[in-house]
Amino acid sequence: MKLSRIVVSLLCFVGFCAGLQAQDTLLFKGALSDTLTLQNATVTAKTRTQQLKEEAYSVNALNINEIVSTLNSVTTAVDRTSGIRIREEGGVGSDFDLSINGLSGNAIRYFLDGMPLDAKGSGITLANLPVNLIERVEIYKGVIPAAFGSDALGGAINIVTNRRHRNYLDFSAGAGSFHTAKTDLNAQYTLPRSGLIFRPVLSVNYSKNDYIMRDVKVRNEEHTAFVIKDLPRFHDDYRSLFGQLEAGVADRSWADAFFVSASLSRIDKDIQTGATQSHVIGMAERHTQSFNVAARYEKAHFLTENLSLRASVSHTSDHSLVIDTTYRRYYWDGTYIDGSYSEIRGRGKTLRHTVRPLTVVRTNADYALAPGHGLSLNYLLNRSGNRQWDDWDDEYVPSNDVLAKHVIGLSYDQSFLNGRLSNVFFAKGYINHLKVGQSELSSTTGANDVPSDDTQFYPGYGVGSRFRMTEALSLKGSFEHSIRLPVVRELLGNGSTVYANLTLKPEVSDNFNLGLFGSHDLGSGHLLSYEVNGYIRLVDNFIQATIYETQGMMQYVNVAAVHIMGGDAEVRYDWAGKLHLALNASYDDSRDRRKYTQAGDLSVTYMNRTPNRPWVWCNAEAAYTFRNLIAGGDRLRLCCDYRWVHWFYLTWAAYGSASSKSKVPTQHLTDLSALYAWAGGRYNLSLECLNLFNALAFDNYMLQKPGRAFFLKFRLFLQ
Amino acid sequence: MKKFKFFLMAVAAVIAATVTIACDPTDDPEKPVIKDTYSFDLFVCAVKHGGMSQNKNGTYVRSVSALTADQPRVEFQGKGIDITQNYTLESITRGKYYYQVPQKATGGFVKFHIERNAAGEESIKEDAEVPFKDNVYAARKYTHAWIGDSTTLVVVGTKDNATKIIWTKLAESNLTVQAEGTFDISLPENYNAFSTAGLLTYRQTDKKLYYFYIVKPKSGQSDAATSMTYIAIINPETMAVESNTAVSTDLMEETAGSAYGELMQSMIMQDPSGNLYVAGLKTVNGQEMGVLRRIKKGETTFDPTWNGFPNPEGKLLTVQYLGYGKALAYSRDEKLGTKIDSKSHFYSIIELADGQRSRVQFNGQDLPYCGGRFSQRSDVLNGKAYIGVGGEVAEDGVEQDYPTIYIYDCKTGEVEKGIELAKGFCFDIIRAMAE
Repeated sequence: MKLSRIVVSLLCFVGFCAGLQAQDTLLFKGALSDTLTLQNATVTAKTRTQQLKEEAYSVNALNINEIVSTLNSVTTAVDRTSGIRIREEGGVGSDFDLSINGLSGNAIRYFLDGMPLDAKGSGITLANLPVNLIERVEIYKGVIPAAFGSDALGGAINIVTNRRHRNYLDFSAGAGSFHTAKTDLNAQYTLPRSGLIFRPVLSVNYSKNDYIMRDVKVRNEEHTAFVIKDLPRFHDDYRSLFGQLEAGVADRSWADAFFVSASLSRIDKDIQTGATQSHVIGMAERHTQSFNVAARYEKAHFLTENLSLRASVSHTSDHSLVIDTTYRRYYWDGTYIDGSYSEIRGRGKTLRHTVRPLTVVRTNADYALAPGHGLSLNYLLNRSGNRQWDDWDDEYVPSNDVLAKHVIGLSYDQSFLNGRLSNVFFAKGYINHLKVGQSELSSTTGANDVPSDDTQFYPGYGVGSRFRMTEALSLKGSFEHSIRLPVVRELLGNGSTVYANLTLKPEVSDNFNLGLFGSHDLGSGHLLSYEVNGYIRLVDNFIQATIYETQGMMQYVNVAAVHIMGGDAEVRYDWAGKLHLALNASYDDSRDRRKYTQAGDLSVTYMNRTPNRPWVWCNAEAAYTFRNLIAGGDRLRLCCDYRWVHWFYLTWAAYGSASSKSKVPTQHLTDLSALYAWAGGRYNLSLECLNLFNALAFDNYMLQKPGRAFFLKFRLFLQ
Repeated sequence: MKKFKFFLMAVAAVIAATVTIACDPTDDPEKPVIKDTYSFDLFVCAVKHGGMSQNKNGTYVRSVSALTADQPRVEFQGKGIDITQNYTLESITRGKYYYQVPQKATGGFVKFHIERNAAGEESIKEDAEVPFKDNVYAARKYTHAWIGDSTTLVVVGTKDNATKIIWTKLAESNLTVQAEGTFDISLPENYNAFSTAGLLTYRQTDKKLYYFYIVKPKSGQSDAATSMTYIAIINPETMAVESNTAVSTDLMEETAGSAYGELMQSMIMQDPSGNLYVAGLKTVNGQEMGVLRRIKKGETTFDPTWNGFPNPEGKLLTVQYLGYGKALAYSRDEKLGTKIDSKSHFYSIIELADGQRSRVQFNGQDLPYCGGRFSQRSDVLNGKAYIGVGGEVAEDGVEQDYPTIYIYDCKTGEVEKGIELAKGFCFDIIRAMAE
């Protein structure tokens, strides 16, 4: 028994130390009270990321620790994984859209250590989270564990932060092209006497984003004709600040962990373009600031031996301001004409405030029924307010609405045949409570068709199974009948350009995954890993933005079936931790299944491929690591990444001559990076070159991405 | 001497009559006569009707040489021009050219035409593109008129959140900005915004620009009952406002359209005598209903005794002069639906002498109701009116017929069936263009 506990503890430990091969003396002090000394032991075990991949869920797991010294944004790493596509609108801090197996936008939910990422503020995204803070990223495709207690429809991304036991200081600073600078600080200090742990985090980003826009139209000197030039962006500054202090205790009799935290974030962003780069903006800005307080509690053996509890509570004050107070029409050379309408909305001037207080309560209780069998009960409360007013526009009617969601999940995990077969069954209950104050335009918003104070219940359920056929090959499949409740903007509008639709129904999707995966040890340090997955998403009541009858107004409506199917595959090769090769490819086949239009006509787009979305792309990576090159314990890692995205039409492919159609062109992007780490990883210096060949690249129509960019980064890691 | 004068007057009268008859009876003074070589550009949208909004579902154009029934069905599978991202459905047209502030928002005006190669494949060729000078216009949000024997295009819009009315004169040939300015028109007390664009037209008989605009309590959409229409008469040479008169709300509260001029829908027509007709609306029992008002030749205000659209079923959306004292009306029956795509829109012929109105019929049957609040599926050329009708849909949702163009003989009133279009699209525009 004692031996098994030791083995379990060792596995826990190696979960923190990815792929560690310890050949020296290890001193381990974990959950066990015992202290164990091993002499000359060789420990080989699966990393936590590998363990996640072997779960019944369809999941990608990225070990950020391995690449943290070269990485500037976690989106870069996520974008290189199979089945994922991130479409960016510009440079640092630009808006982006992440799709997982064909579903994107609000269908994807983001978590930070299991808590909704929104809780850190609406300005905090994958793109600006401090990289040093992150241990790994878990990407769940379609079927999402009940533990997250969320109403994600297409997938979820969970960012897991570092939880080191020792004191440490992790500092990095870097600078690069387009006047970009970045500093991250992340540390932990334990007061020796009290055992009180402090974890400060500070992250500052700045970029002028003044990359060159190619072949843009500007006026000649006489302002009588257009000429074509290459010119830098001139109004795209981005500044972000994120600070957090967490304090608490660990490994107490009453708590394995109890922490309280406070964080603040501030994002200041200039806005450079509208939906396409021909709509040039020169004055409008967006500012977001948030303040969050949170507490979390974790305890194994809570009340009884077999029960463990994790509970979190968080409250966020989130305030965003959009400044659109200029009637100007800009050109890419920075010149302008006094225009007729505001830059963003194309209407009157606005100083629009949005305050969205967010309260999140999350509880997970896990109960071990027997070895290999566990029951988990989860609850999540997500209460969001939506208060808007305008300091400039006197005609704007302030709004104040509240939306509360309760999600209850129950899951049962089982394992048979010495772990060769594992299953998970889960059920979720979604309770949506809406209290509406607005009654304007009731024929449009449906305010008279729904009670002003209403509660609805929706059930969801799923199952997942994984069977290890041989050591080198496993099969897994999963299914979820998932629900996504409308978000505030979709349901309540934004008070200006988006009408409320109080009759909006939740999106419902039946998500199926089937995959084969495994790894084969070829001997002599050669390891081959492979994975192939297929998926089907049958979405109903798809929530889609539609242009309303009046000019420029939008409203979210439910549309009938949208069916998506596709697959992805990945092959990875590793030789003795030196050579690493990876190749993945993704295919996404999304078809319009709406047979009839809203007016009842036969839809001409029925069974057509959904426009304006990439449908086939691939990533390749080659890296080589030299060790003990100059001094003992040093390491030089050279890496080359290549991304290819097939071109796609902006509108329905079937109609109009091919020569007249607008396309988002094929992308070929090559990145290079070099990392030199010495003194056992204490000092790290990296140089990265993105878009090595300065290729003209677009993720979206007429929104050019940056050209060749260099970034130099120094990281100091003291432990 | 008197006999000689009488003879001269008689000769002049005969010449005038001859000229009048020689003119195509469908002549719109704003439109060049297209005699021998012409084509028709047909615009369709996917999923829902376009116009007056950004239909991102796809807008496609085919150019065909004739609309008669002997022509092959117009298909869009792999054919036609996809203009969705670059150009607006709404446009000024003259001869073979289109003029517009494009969807692609380059910050200026563009002039282009559609070409067909030997295989019948269409493409767009841009003929001129110039930046704005001082006055800036948004895509779709302007109105226009042709002056100076159609060598000059006048564009009018608003600025500063629709509190000032601006104008620009452009040379037709290369779009050079010839002059710009702001009308000397102020908002009356208790009104805070002008209509986005208003309606501008040029009347040949008195050589004046007529600008119909609306004043509203606030910018954006508002109830017609809170609005008031004005008629400003503009000197086309100096662009000075010579008169500015409020229209009694008993006659008209708003013009039929005011945000986008006549870039898509025709709401003003003139007959060869110089009478000027304007489609509008006024509130009746809480419902906005169509009216058709007339400014007689020599007058500058609406004739309060005349309404060419009495007993309306709903809004009057477009009017086009057919000749022979008749006009083609496209209107809506409110009780059949008020959404853009509602099958509640229909065509009728108005006898301008007495306002009598009758549905356009083929083989004794009314042409079916159509969707498309913002559609202009009709054009008038060489004594024929080409009227497009969307495919009828049965109760089971199956489209029974192909969208079809019917050809109305303006003189005889006879209707023949014309060309068909592929099913499933929302048929929105017919434009007769010079080759």
